[in-house]
Amino acid sequence: MPIYLYIDRGTFVHRLHPTVKVFALFVMFWSVYWVDNPIALLIPIGVLMLWVAQLTDSWPNFYRLRWLFAILVFTTTIAWMVFYRRGAVLVNVPIFHVSRLSLVFGVGRGIKLAELLAASVLFLSTTKIEEFTYGLQRMRVPYRVGFAISLSFRLVPLFIDSAVTIVDAQRLRGYDFNQGGPIERVRRYVPVVIPVFMGALRKANNMAMALEARGFGFSHEPTTFIEYQVTPADIAAFAFLIGLGALYFMLYWTGLGGIGPLK
Amino acid sequence: MSDLRLMWRNTRMVVLCAISAALYAAVLVPFKVVPLIPGVTELRPANAIPIVCSFLFGPAAAWGSAIGNMIGDFFGGVSPGDIFGFFANLAYGWIPYKVWELIGRGQSPISRSPLGILKYAIACLAASVLCADLVGWADNVLVIRPFAMLGNVIIFNNMVSALVLSPFILAAVYPRVKKGRMLYADVMPEVKLKPVGIRACGFALLIAGEGGAWIFGNLLSTGYWEPKFLPAWMIVAPYDKPVAIIAGPFLLLAFAGLLMM
Repeated sequence: MPIYLYIDRGTFVHRLHPTVKVFALFVMFWSVYWVDNPIALLIPIGVLMLWVAQLTDSWPNFYRLRWLFAILVFTTTIAWMVFYRRGAVLVNVPIFHVSRLSLVFGVGRGIKLAELLAASVLFLSTTKIEEFTYGLQRMRVPYRVGFAISLSFRLVPLFIDSAVTIVDAQRLRGYDFNQGGPIERVRRYVPVVIPVFMGALRKANNMAMALEARGFGFSHEPTTFIEYQVTPADIAAFAFLIGLGALYFMLYWTGLGGIGPLK
Repeated sequence: MSDLRLMWRNTRMVVLCAISAALYAAVLVPFKVVPLIPGVTELRPANAIPIVCSFLFGPAAAWGSAIGNMIGDFFGGVSPGDIFGFFANLAYGWIPYKVWELIGRGQSPISRSPLGILKYAIACLAASVLCADLVGWADNVLVIRPFAMLGNVIIFNNMVSALVLSPFILAAVYPRVKKGRMLYADVMPEVKLKPVGIRACGFALLIAGEGGAWIFGNLLSTGYWEPKFLPAWMIVAPYDKPVAIIAGPFLLLAFAGLLMM
C-alpha cells in the first residue's frame, strides 16, 4: 500500500493555490452529497473527475486502488438492498429487497462513495503535505494543530518502514502472522507493535527539544519559507467550483437529482 | 475539556499527539488483517493504538487518534461522514483515560486483578460505543450507510483490539513510559481533575446517552421500531430522519456527560 499518493507533474491543477484545492475537496463532497440519482452523480461531476485524473496523470493511483473502488460499489449496493426496503419487489430473495428503487438507490450510494474516494485520491495526487497544512492554516486552523497534522503525515512512512522491518525480521525467525483464526491473527501483531511504539517514544523527547530549540511556540503565526500567490487561474477555479456546488444544489432543489417519485 | 485545549500549549504534548497519530495511521494503513465488511471495515490491529496511547498520553492521544484516523481515511476514501469520524475517534482516544481516572482510583491500567480487568473493559467499551454511535449515526443521517451496519461492526472491531492487543502492548510499554516520566500526568501536571461527584454524574450521562443512541439507532435503522409520534413521511427507509431526531439527543447527552468528566 503506497503511503504517499502525490504525483509530481506541475499541471494546472498541481499549481492551484492550496486553499483552492482544499475548497475543491469540500465542493466535491458538497456536490456529491445532494444527489442520489446515478446519472446525476456521473454527469457532470464523475466526468469532471475523470478529466482531472487524465489531466493530472493520476491513473497509477486509481489503478492501485481499483479493487477498493469495485468492492466499495458492490458492497454498498448489496447493503442498501437489505436496508432500503422500498418499491415493488422484482425478484424474491431472502433478506434482500430487490426492487428497481433499492437497486438504483444502492448503485447511486456506491457511485457516491466511489466518487468521494476518487476526490480524495485526486486531492492527494496533486497536493503536497505542506500545501495541505498551508491550506488548513489559511482556513484558520491553529498553527500547532496544522503542525501536528503535518508532522504526523511525515512520521507515518518512518513508522511503517520500521514496522515492515520488524515484520520481516520476525518472519525470518519463522514467525507466521497468518496463523490461526481472526482473533489469533490480530494477537500475533503484538511483537510488531511494541518495538515500533518504543522506537517512536525514543524520538518524542528529542523531537520536543529540537522544536523548542528552534523557537516552536514562540509565535502563534510563525513565518514560512513557502508563500503561495493567488493567480487568475485560482480565481477562475474558485468561481467554477462555486458554480458546480450551486448546480448540484439546484439539482437537489428541483428534484432532478432524486431517484424517482418516492424520493 | 480543558485538557484538550491546554495540551496544545505544551510542545511535548504536541509531539506526543503527532506520534500517536502517526503510529495509529502507520499500523492502520498497511496492516489490514481480516475484512469484516469488504470495502467498509476490517479487523484492525491499529485500533489498539488509541486505547494504549490514551492511558499513556491522555489528551494528546485523543487528538492523535482523531488525526491518525483522518490520515487513514485519506488512504481509504474520505467522505462528509469522516468529519464525524474525526470527532468519534477523538472520543475514542479521550474516553478511556477519563473513565479510568474516575473508576481506576489511582490503580495502574496494567493491573491484572479481576476488578482491574473489568474496569479496563468498561473504559474501553464506553469509548468504543460512543465512537461507533457517532460514526453510525452520521453515516445514517447522511444516508451513506445504515446505522445497524457500522454501529455494531465498529464496537466489535474496537473491542477486539482493545481486549486482545492493547493489554499486551500496555503491559510492555506503560512501565517504561512511567519510568521515563512521559505519562500525561507528568508532562501536564497543571491539569486539575473536577470533583468526583461531577465526574460520576458525567459518567452516568455518558453511559445513558451512548447506550440510548446505540439501542435506538439499531431499532430505527433496521425498521424494527417505527415511532408513531413522527409523521408517516419520515418513517421510511433509509430512516435517516428518525435516526437523526431520536438517536441525536442521546448522543448530545453522551457528549454532555463526557464534558462533565
